[in-house]
Amino acid sequence: MPQDYPNPNLEASRSPDRTTVNRSEADDMGLLTRIQSGDQEAMSALFDRYGTMVYSVALRVLKDTGEAEDVMQEIFVQVWKNPSAFVSGRGSLGGWLVVVARNRSIDMIRRRHPSEPVESFTLPSSTDLAHEAERNLLLKKIRGAMLSLPDEQKQSVELAFFEGLSHSEIAEKTGDPLGTVKTRIRLALITIRKALDV
Amino acid sequence: MSKTPHISQEDLALYAMQALTPEENRDTQAHLDDCAYCRAALSESLVDIALIGMSTDQKALPEGARQRLMARIANTPQVAVAAPAPKTVTSIPVREERRSRFGWLGWVAAAATLAIAAYLGYSNVQLERQVSENRGQIAQLAAQADRGEQLKDALTSPDAKRVTLTESKQPAHPVGHATYLPKRGALIFVANNLRPLAEDKTYELWLIPADGKAPIPAGLFRPDASGSASVILPTLPVGVEAKTFGVTIEDAQGSTTPTLPIVMSG
Repeated sequence: MPQDYPNPNLEASRSPDRTTVNRSEADDMGLLTRIQSGDQEAMSALFDRYGTMVYSVALRVLKDTGEAEDVMQEIFVQVWKNPSAFVSGRGSLGGWLVVVARNRSIDMIRRRHPSEPVESFTLPSSTDLAHEAERNLLLKKIRGAMLSLPDEQKQSVELAFFEGLSHSEIAEKTGDPLGTVKTRIRLALITIRKALDV
Repeated sequence: MSKTPHISQEDLALYAMQALTPEENRDTQAHLDDCAYCRAALSESLVDIALIGMSTDQKALPEGARQRLMARIANTPQVAVAAPAPKTVTSIPVREERRSRFGWLGWVAAAATLAIAAYLGYSNVQLERQVSENRGQIAQLAAQADRGEQLKDALTSPDAKRVTLTESKQPAHPVGHATYLPKRGALIFVANNLRPLAEDKTYELWLIPADGKAPIPAGLFRPDASGSASVILPTLPVGVEAKTFGVTIEDAQGSTTPTLPIVMSG
């Protein structure tokens, strides 16, 4: 089927609401600036905003409430210790926290040392989630998109994301050809991206 | 600019999920250090990863988790911004016999040193912020330079394929010009005299591969008031030879498969 590559113009227009995004960024940056000056209330507010999301991702990967809380704590303590690392050029803080939660949890499963390079990159700000109403709407869209995926696409994405398997490991586990696994994941990502454009 | 081919979307996704082998990871990292284009593509992959993470059902935090975290926060020092100050103060030697007569001088010196140390600490933080901001600007400029280089290559390379597209089975009023450089995956498409579209429709450009594989979407465009439109350097795979290009009319959000009829081709 002619669906090999994502439509570049769809990608370019993925941000659902630029005004919301800018406001969210400002709010996150405001909290981080206060955290930088040692404001524990600001840290508490940041935790209230993103704690559940970070914990839920860690729990989904680790399937253990204690370990998930450990991962969540480590991530927020890291933010508290050195907020200046996030203040400049980090892009979407919410998106970044989710990626770090996932990667740290996979690290824990594999008993490997955390590898940092990916975490030093910036996420475009289209995933900022500082405001509850917008966050709930966006999350609803993303979950809807995930639920709408064909089973085999969903399975491939979940094996890659939540179990940390490479494409070839997924192919080996499911018995599907490597190319098929890649195509499924690619198509799933296109569907999820499109959910933000609606 | 990196001289090696760009990293595939699949490998960038694996890198973002830390699922590459250590050796592949090193190669990818080395390429990313040198390639603004792939760094930008990696950011997109990270967004994908974040979106999948956000699709997770939200679970209630364990009871007391917030209190445990805040208790730990209360006992965790931050990376000090003016940490040098106390060290500098304690290093001032004040001899006993001088303290009795000129003790106040020691306190003045200590206060002055403390102030200088605090100022230096503050300046250091400011400089770190500035460096971080500059780093982001450099990455942006590098990405722009990379794109400019691609544009120049695609327009001037003798290897570039130049094609004129005309409206199928119609007088050749609408005209599109595509310039395509397969080895860079670089495409520039400019069209004129396009017919206007309904609000909920868009034109979509397609690259039809020479190897018979599925058409590749190469960008959405709508004509302006004068009927002109362009698609500049859409994201395309590198090294795909084009048999032809086509244009279809699709719903406003675009399509992943072309909807017949093909209104322009060439």
